[in-house]
Parts: sequence; C-alpha cells; structure tokens
Amino acid sequence: MLGDKAFSLIQELDRSQHGTLPPFNEDAVRQALEEIDSLFQQNVADINHLAEDDALVAGIHLRHAALERNKRCLLAYLYNRLERLRTMRWQLGSVLPSDVRTNLCEPELEWFAQYSSTVARYMRSLGDGQGLDLTVDLKPPKNLYIEVRCLQDYGEFELEEGEVVLLSKDSTHFLPMEHCQHLIRQGVLQHVK
Amino acid sequence: MFVTNIIKEFYDCISGKRVLVLVHSDLDAICSGKILQALFRADHILYTLCPVLTLSDLLTAVKSHKEQISSIILINCGGTLDLVEFLELPPHIKVFLADTHRPLHVCNIYSDDQIRILGQLDDDEEVPAFGDVFRDDETSESEEEDEDGVSRISESRLEKQRERRLWEQKRNKLLFDYSQFSYFAGSTATLMFELAWKLSKDTSDLLWLAIVSLSGEQLCSIREQHKLALCAADLNTHVARLHHTNHTDTTEPAADTITFQKDVQLSLYRHWSLVESMRHSPLTATSLKLWTHKGEKKMFELLAELGLPLTECRQLFCGMDVKLRSELPTLLEGKADKYGLGGLVTPSFSRSHVFHSRCSASDFAHAALALLEPPSTDGLSMSHAFLDASDCLNGSTVFAKGIASARKQLEAVYRQMQTFLDMNQVISAGPFLYATVLQGSPLAAFMSGPHVLGALGRFTLGAHVSASRNKKARSLPLVLTTPDSSQPQDWCLVCGIPPLADTSHRNFFGKAFEQAVSKTQSRAQLEFFDSHVIRLHVEDRSKFFDALISLLS
Amino acid sequence: MKMADITDDILSASDDDESQVVTAAEVLLKIESLWRTERLSPTLECHQSELVDCMLDQITQMNNNLRRCKKTDLRLAIHRMELERVRYVVASYLRCRLLKIERFTHYLLEKHGELDDPSLALLSPQELDYAKSYAQSIESHFNKLVLRHITHEKLAEFDAKKMSVVPNMNGYVFLKVLKDSPGVLISDQVGENADEEVDLVAGDQHLMMYSSIQELLKSGHVELI
Repeated sequence: MLGDKAFSLIQELDRSQHGTLPPFNEDAVRQALEEIDSLFQQNVADINHLAEDDALVAGIHLRHAALERNKRCLLAYLYNRLERLRTMRWQLGSVLPSDVRTNLCEPELEWFAQYSSTVARYMRSLGDGQGLDLTVDLKPPKNLYIEVRCLQDYGEFELEEGEVVLLSKDSTHFLPMEHCQHLIRQGVLQHVK
Repeated sequence: MFVTNIIKEFYDCISGKRVLVLVHSDLDAICSGKILQALFRADHILYTLCPVLTLSDLLTAVKSHKEQISSIILINCGGTLDLVEFLELPPHIKVFLADTHRPLHVCNIYSDDQIRILGQLDDDEEVPAFGDVFRDDETSESEEEDEDGVSRISESRLEKQRERRLWEQKRNKLLFDYSQFSYFAGSTATLMFELAWKLSKDTSDLLWLAIVSLSGEQLCSIREQHKLALCAADLNTHVARLHHTNHTDTTEPAADTITFQKDVQLSLYRHWSLVESMRHSPLTATSLKLWTHKGEKKMFELLAELGLPLTECRQLFCGMDVKLRSELPTLLEGKADKYGLGGLVTPSFSRSHVFHSRCSASDFAHAALALLEPPSTDGLSMSHAFLDASDCLNGSTVFAKGIASARKQLEAVYRQMQTFLDMNQVISAGPFLYATVLQGSPLAAFMSGPHVLGALGRFTLGAHVSASRNKKARSLPLVLTTPDSSQPQDWCLVCGIPPLADTSHRNFFGKAFEQAVSKTQSRAQLEFFDSHVIRLHVEDRSKFFDALISLLS
Repeated sequence: MKMADITDDILSASDDDESQVVTAAEVLLKIESLWRTERLSPTLECHQSELVDCMLDQITQMNNNLRRCKKTDLRLAIHRMELERVRYVVASYLRCRLLKIERFTHYLLEKHGELDDPSLALLSPQELDYAKSYAQSIESHFNKLVLRHITHEKLAEFDAKKMSVVPNMNGYVFLKVLKDSPGVLISDQVGENADEEVDLVAGDQHLMMYSSIQELLKSGHVELI
C-alpha cells in the first residue's frame, strides 16, 4: 500500500509513551523518502506519456496525493519528536540523560543544542539584561525550605550565602528550595514528603 | 558541661545557623532525630543528618563536615569518649551531646563550653569530683624538674612527688571504678519531646515517637523496670494533656488517640496468629519451655483452659472471633499466674486512627529494629537500613515491610535459640556461659547487628536458665559469638549479656573485653558505641576467651 | 490583597525614595490579570514587556532589602515566600507566552510583519528574536532530514502557510463585563445568516467566542475569567 511506511512512523510514535522518545527510525524515513522518489519518477514518466494516453491522469493524481501524504507524515513525525524534545528541555534541563541521547539522531541533537541556547538567550535578556530562570518554579512554591535525601555521593554543593554542604549518600538535608530543584531534577536528591 | 536551660543554651544557640546532626543507628536515636527534625523544620533551621554506627563512622562524618559547620549535635553516640581529643575539634565548633550511654567521659562532663551535654544525671549516678580527676599544677611540676641540671632533691620536692603519685593512683582507681560498668540512662527521645513541649511545639506524633522509643527500651531491657514504669507514667500525663487539648468535646470520636491500657505482652500478636506469637515471645517461650514437646502441650492446655479454640488461635489474629479478641487480655490475666506468666498482661501504649486497626508501640519498635538490621543476604548498607527504619515509624507501606521483617527476625532468633538448647551448645566456661552461632548456618545471616545479637543472647540465657537444673545458672552471664556479616571468614562479633540475677542492668563486659584484648594483644575492633559488643579476629578467639575466663574468675 | 500589602510594606521599608508613578501593588495586580488573560486566551495577547521588566526589577530590589534583615525574624520567612510566589507568577506568564509563540510561530511572525502600530505589537523584541530563531531552527531541521532529499522542486519547499498552526479564534471563553458595551456583533457560525447583536451590561458573565470580544478585551471592557 502506498504511504504505509510513512504511516508506520506515525503509529510508532503514537504507540510510544508520552514523554519518551523511541529511537529515530532512520530506515523507515529513508524508505518513505525512496517511495516519494519512485512515485515522483513514475509521475514524471507518465506526464511525458500523457499526450498519448489520457487515462494516466488518474494515476498521476493518485501518486501525487500519495507523495503529499508521505511528506506530511514525515514532517509530522519529525515535528512531534521535536515537541517531545522540547518538553524534555523544560523538565530535565539542558543536559539530556544518556539513555535519551542514544535514541536521537545527529540533527536532533543539534536542534536540541540550538533550542537550549535560544531559550537561554531569551531568559538572559529578561528584566533589562538581568535574566530570569524560567525553568525553575514549574509548580507554585509551597515552602521556602524542603527536606531532601541524597541518593548518590555528589560532593560539595554551595548555597547562595556561601555556605557549603557536603552531599554524601543516604544523608538527609534541610535546604532552601531554589537550590535543590536542579539537583532533584537530575536525580541526585530526592524530596522527602 | 551540663546544660541547665535547654532552650537558652542549646536551641537559641543553633537558630539561624546550619547544624550537623549525627545519629546513632538505634531506635531511640532515630526517634530523637525525627523529633529534632520536626522542630528544625518548623523553625527553618538548616541541618544535615548522617547516621553512624561505629567510632570510625563518627570520625569520618565529623572530618568531612568540619570545615562547613559550626555546631554538631550528637545523638546517642560519643558520650563515652573524650570528644575533643577523638574528633580533633577546633575550638570554634560547639558540640551538643545527647547520649543515653553511660558512664559519660569525665572530659565531656568537665569541659568548659565546647561540649554541652543535654539532659541530666540520674540521682544514683556518681561522677568523680573535678579535683580528683584533674590537677592544675601537673605541668609546672615537670618543668621545674627538667630545668634543674643538678638534681637537688630537697625534702619538699620528694614530698610533692610522692603526693602526686598517690593522687595519680587514686585517680586511676576512681576512673576504673567509674567506667567499669556500662549502662543506660533515660531515653533521648523523651528529652527531645520535653524540649518540644517547652517550645510549645509538641504534637501527638512527636509524643508517639517518644513512646515507641520507650517500648524499644522495654524490649531490649536496658534499664530497670521501675525506672521504665516511671517514664511510662510521665508520658501518660502528656498523653492525657494532649488528648484533652485536642478534643474538649468528648462526644465526637477522636481521629487519632493514644491510649495506655492493659495489653497482652506478646510480640507482634496483632500481626500474627496467637500460637505463633506465643512461641516467639521470650516471656511465654521461656516460662512454658515451648521448644520442647511438653512445653507445646502446656501451651495448648493453657489455650484450652482459656476457652480459645485451637483453630482460631492458629489463624491470623485479625481473623479471630471479635469477642475472643476483645476478651483476650482479661482471660490471660486470670490464668497467667498459674502458668508462671506473671507480667504477661501489663499496661502499655497503643495508638489507633479512625478506621484503622489499633497498633501497639512495641509493634512499631519491633518493625523498626528489624529494618535497622536486615539480614546480610539483602546486601543493604547501614545508612539505607537506617532510612528504612526511619520511614517505618511514619507508618505506611514501609511499616508493613517492617512487620514482615520483624516476624522473620523473631523466627530466626527462636530457631537459633532452639538449636543452641537442643544441641547443648550453651557451654559453661567457668565464670560464664558461652555459645557460638556457626558460620555457614542459614540463620547466621540474620544475626548481623548488635541489637539482634542482644535479643538472641537474652532469649538464649533465659531459656537456658529455665531449662537447666543448675542452681547457679541464674548468676552466670552469657557470651555469644557470631560470624561478622561483612567478612565471615576472618571476623566475628562477640556480645556479652549480664546474668539474669543482676537486676541493676549494669554491663561489665565492655571493660572486661577491653582488658582481655589488651592482655592478649588480640586483633579486635572495639568500635561500637554499645561497648558490650566487639568485633574480634577469628584466630584470636581462643586466647581471648582464655584471658576472659581468667579475668572473670 | 494581602500580597500587594506586603509588597508595599517591603518597598516602604527600603531607602528608595524615587517617586514611582505606579506603585508596586498596582504592578502586581496588573501582572496577575495579564497572567490570567494569557492563560485563558486561545491566542497570544499583546506583550507588556515594560511591565514585566518593572516587576522583575522590584523583585530584585525587595530581595536585596530582605537580605539585610536579621535572619531569624518570622516576617522574613513570610516576605520571602511572597517574593517566591510573585516570581512564580511572572515566570508562569512568560512560559505561557513562550509556549504559544512556539505553537503559532509562523502565524505570529506574519501578523507581526503586517502590523503598523508598534504599540499593538504582539511580540516584544526579545520574543520576536526568539520566534525567528525557533522558526528557523525548525525549518532547517526539516530541510536537513527530509526536504533535502525530495527531488520534486515544489514539494521540497517548506510551505509555511500550509503547515503552520493557527490559533483558534473561535474558541469559547468565559468573560466578565467590566464596562457597558452595547452592540457587540456575534457572527454567525451555522450559516443561517443569523448574525446577532448583543448588549453587554457591566457585571455580567458570559461564555462567548473569542473573536467576538477580542477588541473589547484589548480596550479593557471585558476580562477573561
């Protein structure tokens, strides 16, 4: 069936869990592009023969429709992957965990880096050049300080007023909220309810 | 120095600063730590909390945090050491010590300002006077002697030297007598709860933590019964006060009540079947000799006399008939004396939430202690076990896990005790009894920490005394060894239990072990804060025991 | 409003005596209503970057004042909590705008190009910059992976018109009428030539299509709830 390969890409993305990225399916993309190419070649061949046989028009239209559909599926696949990447930037920060990185292709990694730097540039320019970090405070803040447990040996960590905290495995700490958020997202600290 | 006004000299000193809290890995310390954490959270005092089990843990923790912290709080660790010397503390760091281990080191008691001890000495504790232990003119004497090239030995100097030698001899004897017996004072959790009360921040949750700590003390029988009863009465007054302030309208059912009422003292009976619980509780097991056939028959006799059908007693307690369940304390109380089970039904604390079943404080204590020392086959680190035990006291899924672990631990202890007695492995070595957990036995994995060792020792000693026809058995202490879980080939843990006849609960094994080790130059690590447990190299075991025998006879 | 009182408190405690045309409390109220509108509206509203900058400046000032206070004062904790909440409101507002910019990039860029009056601009200069680089990054990504390989000339173009997402101007929103507005035209959706004219009375609450009340929203006659 025409357009199956491209549609399978969409299905694959739809079936995967939201918030995760399956590996970039280069093979299917390549096959869809090849299909586009072959359809296009067939169309060109047919157009040349159009003068002889009017009935080819239907075939040309069909192939063109299939071409457009393939293109649309491919672009939708790419765009949705970028959407998920974008969500990850806001949730996980500018460094992706390694298991996600292995699922991305080169251009996606480049796009992520570029997006990160665009967002960073925008955040820096806020408030007359003062900058405001928009990636913290994703939920309304409830407490100034929170109790956290350290899950791995992290080493020394500096607070705002210059105080240094040593984060060793299985130690419990009571620290200001703003400093802990990044570490909680990275998985170094765990919030204790 | 002892702190007289705990708020001014302790709490106000740490407000606004960051503190390091080092908590010993035992139930009382965990409860105190949680109470302190609640207080700190309310007052926005930043803290870092690390668990410690051995002396080396304490030293590492202090060393790594020394630069960043100006106040350290030690809970149930370090009281018996000379802290300033051991931790190499710079003078600007203040240490607040809340330790139940006694005797406290004299350097800590007489420290100027750096070491502040929270809590008070009991009336029956005697500390050597300052003049008997420290002497100002020591250095000046030695300097004078060195400066003189010509040894002009005058009368007065000879006199002074003699006097000094006598004083030193007296001092050494005093210190030896003072530190000979190790024992425990009032629980730290009660102290912390009283601090919370003085700050008007006490809640029933914090009170419950203090109560669980007290139950833990009762389980491990580390203090005299009458002192524990006094503490229980004190806590009961707090219960009454909190209950009254929270629920002045008595018609409404209270959401969360703590009650102090007569309860059956069987381990975990609410989470087990009655038969199993009777079998694994030290009190019933030793009085009825439940590891023997005769004993089992006696137990069934008792149950029959009480009118409890055997099928009911064999199923889970929550599945028993409601009428039987509610009548159980009164039934047992009536027949207790006939079977020698005095003390089976005594008042104790329990707590219930609306729509939840009632839980007794000793259940929580059992669960937390079991999670604190998981079997070595689980491979959990000490700090992970500490966090598990801490979470269990909040009462949640971890609590259910704790109850399951506690059941397994009690079963293992019981089976080990049964092995000891059936195989006659409790050997008399003259002045004490002696038993070894064999390496490679599947039960050895459960005997991995000081608390469970102590529980096994007490259970074994009680069972042996009740089974033995020897009249002297009551006055013999027990020494128990078990392979060390981290390196079972080379090291073993040795634990000393005082004799049953000794009701003062003062343990002399700490000092005895120390002296035996130094006499025989054995490779040993005296690194637990509970001094009656040490780690000994397997090859030095025999000469160590010989030395111990000669010491104690 | 408690939050506004406290922020006024903090400012009055500071040594600043610049006469401000608008007080901190008023700025905060405005920011809150902007935040509400932005979250409820289906399209991007006009930018108010001066207001945002002003608020951020105030936050920094207040932070500096608080830092000078004694550490164990209970009021310090309350003030700091309020500042955190204000910061959250501003951040949420800006994040919401960024989300809409990313979704409707091409539409907004096109609209921006068409505008003559700079005071009605939807995007602030920084946001414009952001939108442009975002659009460009998406386009180049598509080109790299797919469009480059298509040999058909026309097909290989990135047709922004066909592919961009357009905000749903006909989405329904709840609104509250602040000032009397007679003669609001509700255009017909069903095709029965049933255009209606409605009079909006102050204090009423309605559920209407966004397109009908867009102008009134801009002029402040209604507010979204």
